[in-house]
Amino acid sequence: MFSRISRSFYRTAAWRLALGSTLVFAAGCALIFWAMYVLVAGTVRERSDSWLVGESETLKQVALTTPRDALYDRIVEEVAELATQEMAYDSRGNRTSGSTVFFAEYDASDNLLVWVGPKDNQQFLAAIQKMNPRNAAPASLEIHGWRSPFRVVMVPMSGGDGHVWLGLQDANAAEMLNRLLIRFILGWVFMVGLGFLITLLGLRRMLKRVDAITGTAASIRTHDLSTRVPVGMQQDEIARLARTFNNMLERISASVNQLRTLTDSVAHDLKSPITSVRGSLEIALSLEDEEFSRDLVAKAIESLDHLSGVITTSLDLAEAEGGALHLHVEKVDLAELAGRVAELYAPAFAEKRQKLRIEVDRPLPAAVDVQLFTRLLTNLMENELRYAGEGAHVTFSVTSTDGMARVRVTDDGPGFAADLLPRIFQRFAKGSRSEGHGLGLAFVNAVAGAHGGRALAQNRSADAAEHGACITIEMPLTPGAAAADGIVFSSEESENPASSGGNVRELSV
Amino acid sequence: MRLLVVEDDKTIREFLVRALGEAGFRVDASGEAADAEKLSLEGVHDAIVVDLTLPDMDGLELIQRMRAQGVAAPVLILSARRSVDERVLGLERGGDDYLTKPFAVAELLARLRALLRRSTAGQPEAVRLRVADLELDLIRREAKRGGVELQLTQQEFGLLEYLCRNAGRVVTRAMVLDHVWKMRIDTSTNIVDVHIHRLRNKVDRNAERPLIRTMRGVGYVLKD
Repeated sequence: MFSRISRSFYRTAAWRLALGSTLVFAAGCALIFWAMYVLVAGTVRERSDSWLVGESETLKQVALTTPRDALYDRIVEEVAELATQEMAYDSRGNRTSGSTVFFAEYDASDNLLVWVGPKDNQQFLAAIQKMNPRNAAPASLEIHGWRSPFRVVMVPMSGGDGHVWLGLQDANAAEMLNRLLIRFILGWVFMVGLGFLITLLGLRRMLKRVDAITGTAASIRTHDLSTRVPVGMQQDEIARLARTFNNMLERISASVNQLRTLTDSVAHDLKSPITSVRGSLEIALSLEDEEFSRDLVAKAIESLDHLSGVITTSLDLAEAEGGALHLHVEKVDLAELAGRVAELYAPAFAEKRQKLRIEVDRPLPAAVDVQLFTRLLTNLMENELRYAGEGAHVTFSVTSTDGMARVRVTDDGPGFAADLLPRIFQRFAKGSRSEGHGLGLAFVNAVAGAHGGRALAQNRSADAAEHGACITIEMPLTPGAAAADGIVFSSEESENPASSGGNVRELSV
Repeated sequence: MRLLVVEDDKTIREFLVRALGEAGFRVDASGEAADAEKLSLEGVHDAIVVDLTLPDMDGLELIQRMRAQGVAAPVLILSARRSVDERVLGLERGGDDYLTKPFAVAELLARLRALLRRSTAGQPEAVRLRVADLELDLIRREAKRGGVELQLTQQEFGLLEYLCRNAGRVVTRAMVLDHVWKMRIDTSTNIVDVHIHRLRNKVDRNAERPLIRTMRGVGYVLKD
């Protein structure tokens, strides 16, 4: 089975980890089983030892109290026989398989007086003679020709009158211990094998998901970033990895798309002005009429300025959408800034007979990128100038609630075309009447986003007869980054008058 | 007045030398930082124009090195990088002003002149400006044309004041926005034109000779 598994399998983390943990597990199990075995073996030996000690005492007493006459041997033999039979039979009276007991009595000059036990006692006697030191505590004794050792106890007769030996080979216990050992080994092998398999399979299953991520990463080409890693239902580390990976893909894909749109826009928005600039200059060069050629050159410069504006806005947009727009946050009174922008634009509104109404909470201290926020405001103004239509009423309000600044522009003009509304903040989204480059509102949205806010566009009414556009920008008065930089307004400064209508100024234009 | 221009792009360098030369400056030009550093140490230049991307050294580093060696002439930084941070960094490292490419020659000249004014002794602040028969009282914020008081709004007065201060020199839309409305924004709209148009209606309507002129494609100039 293993021969069919490719060599590369042995290099996998699953294999290595499974092998490692199994080795540790095997060692731990072996240790536990060994300890249990030793404990059981010790208990069993204690049982036979206590029998030996008790019985040897009894036999000693019998030997002492029995008169040394012709019947002495018979009586002691009889008692010893009884004692050995006590161990050789189990509690139900069946003869058990070969428990062996021997009894030997020596007189003071080491002559064997009584022998009870296996007939062929030469090996026993030789072993006993060799045993050293001789003491009353039970000890193990190897006897030639017998598989397992005997437990032996020696009891000296009082008065130096010889001594008795009692030995026991408890075959039951030995067999039980043997069986226990075999079972422990089998159990150990089974547990280790099972543990190894479970670990290996579990790890392989888990790491297959990592492999899936690797596979997805490998399959990604710049022209196709749509592949995603399956995340599954789990909430574990690998699911997090997959999700993070997918998020990363999402961002990369967004950046690539952005780059693509940027290239498209370069092709579209830059090439045509360049063509016109080139054309104008070429004509100017060949013209005799100086006045006319000056005019053409001026026109070329204007086109170039426009071009430069498109490039700057495109780059800012790309940076903002890619999350790379670095905010240069400054403390500023938004109301004052909005007022200045409104004053700048008031005459332009007047030219179009539009009525501009300004509502501001003032003061309205905030921490924003002043340059970007000013462009946000001017873009909104330009947007109204272009699309609200002649004679429209435009209301421009800058207020704050709960730490959020809200810039809202409403008009009673034609409103947004229904097909345009859902993508109004996208780049190059522009209506059929638009003469802009379609970046203005996208830029507004990007600036709001870069400050941690958002832009919303809607028509004030679904009724086509009385449309009127409404654009709302909501963004925090202090972006998270600014707060971390330690820009904190004093409580006095941050107290805003709750009334948003209390400071209404109307620019009569 | 003698200028040092450090710009690695040959086209821009040659155009700068020509434009500044026509504006009446003596111009030394260099395309490399090491060479420019040597030139600047001669101490003969009244102002230095430095492009930030140079082949052998970052422009900011060049400025720091020149400053460290005692070059005191004001430095105008040119850069295609357009972030606010870049501007701040440039000014911190010893630059005196910052101009982003592409720029109008008029704006470059205006900024250079401002730098040179700043570096020479401070002129006493004028309280009264006069161009031909146009008179501005900066304290009472009143303007008269041929002795007749003009009814100007605060904004219009500010705009006229800026044009008068730069009388005879072209100012661009961006310069007007920057100085009059304190906004550093690129705008491709005609918003400044609207204000100029209104101002011209008040200043030049009844006059024989118009003072405010539009330089198409560049900006405006107030001159007799």
